Amino acid sequence: MKNVFAIALGILAAIGGFVDIGDIVFNTAAGATFGYELLWAVVIGVGGIITYAEMCGRVAAVSERAVFDAVRERLGFQVGLVALVAAQFVNLLTIAAEVGGVALVLQLLSGLPYRALLVLAFVALALVLWVMPFSWIERVFGYAGLALLVFAVGAIKLHPDWAQVARGFVPRAETDNLAVYGYYVVGLIGAAMIPYEVYFYSSGAVEERWRPKDLGVNRANAIVGYSLGGILSFALMISAGALLLPQGISPEHLGSVALVAEVPVGQIGLILALVGMLFAISGAAIDSAFAGAYNLAQFFGWEWGKYRHNHGAPRFTITWAVMLLLGFLVVMTGVDPILVTEISVVFSVVALPLTYLPILLVANDRAYMGGYRNGWLVNVFGAVYLVVLLVVAVAAIPLLVASNMGQG
Amino acid sequence: MSEIDLGLGILDHQLVDSDGHHCGKVDDLELEGVRDGTPRVAAILTGASAWRGRGLLGRLAAAVARGRLVRIAWEDVKDVHAEVELRRTAEELGVAREDRARRLVERIPGASL
Repeated sequence: MKNVFAIALGILAAIGGFVDIGDIVFNTAAGATFGYELLWAVVIGVGGIITYAEMCGRVAAVSERAVFDAVRERLGFQVGLVALVAAQFVNLLTIAAEVGGVALVLQLLSGLPYRALLVLAFVALALVLWVMPFSWIERVFGYAGLALLVFAVGAIKLHPDWAQVARGFVPRAETDNLAVYGYYVVGLIGAAMIPYEVYFYSSGAVEERWRPKDLGVNRANAIVGYSLGGILSFALMISAGALLLPQGISPEHLGSVALVAEVPVGQIGLILALVGMLFAISGAAIDSAFAGAYNLAQFFGWEWGKYRHNHGAPRFTITWAVMLLLGFLVVMTGVDPILVTEISVVFSVVALPLTYLPILLVANDRAYMGGYRNGWLVNVFGAVYLVVLLVVAVAAIPLLVASNMGQG
Repeated sequence: MSEIDLGLGILDHQLVDSDGHHCGKVDDLELEGVRDGTPRVAAILTGASAWRGRGLLGRLAAAVARGRLVRIAWEDVKDVHAEVELRRTAEELGVAREDRARRLVERIPGASL
């Protein structure tokens, strides 16, 4: 019974923790532009994160190796260093986007000036990272992020044409503007598979001292948690498709995203949407700052982990503080956080293959995994996703340019 | 110890000292007896200067980081699994223990949280 409870709590945290600023931006923008036509791309993205999160969690539980241990051990110093630089660049952009997103939501809630709220967001996030134990961080932000389920209620209340919704799960590309369509495909897959999630997930498994007996929890979190988290993405896209597309509104700021919940659910819908976004995006800011510190510490062999306390892993502590500070400074320049979000998602797609290849190799390695190696089904999925990611990675930047960042 | 692939099983793996602390990676290996046909690992090399042996990017990174090079004799290796366990503490072996970073972090209230 205790175990069932633990699994349920883990799943809830995974659902609430799935969505970040990238998912919010790309799902509503895709819905407002193409209606329900791109739902299939979310399915591909969610399948990818499930496949690789499960693998990372299993590798961590069995061998106590996190992602950048595996990257360095399997790709060596030189290629590993390239992967590290790419990952840290993308992490920094992600942190900047999430910190900016937190300030935007705070602004919608309070009406105070944006830059002051950026400072508030930075100080509050740094304090949480410094003070809160790991398990609290994961839980508090995951559970509060569940308020985003209001978008699912809203999507149903908007009475979308469900036959049209169902058609969206089959790729058709019936559009005159293939570049914009392709750009959103890249964005939706990238937002669902944004790399900090696997860095954080795998290192989190080591933080929580998962062992092979926890593999059930791992599978439940990855498969059930992320599938249900994907429902939030569907809800955002369906709501935007039902509400914003007919009105010709393009969601250039988060206010129109909140509107998507307010129209069908009312005042309480607006508040739940804003609170859900605040916690989901704050949680993502924290996770991505930690992800940056995990990567660096693992690549260079430092002490790492929140469980060692701030002074027990001092370089790790300094790294997350510096990453958060740099991300904060990027948005303090006044650059639009939505723009930073789009760029961070597109570039993360480029960095993904170098992260996932070593994981696939290690998850198949008898020396690390013994009897817990990948089965054939996981390998088929893993290999197919590597090919998909390579294609998407090659196409990402040309599509960004050709579509003028989705503006057509 | 059973058979180990030096490239995949030791190089770039985590070093753990006798107190269980992470203390760097196996950045390079020192081999001896290669010419007389009985090669053996003489030592593990760790520290930023050891990256010089790791290709062009390694030389570049070593030049930028300008760190130390510490030689850990193979006799000080206790066991090799996913991590490389050492027989002595990082301090005794002369490997950095993040002391400067620790002193900095400890100046801030709540460092032990």
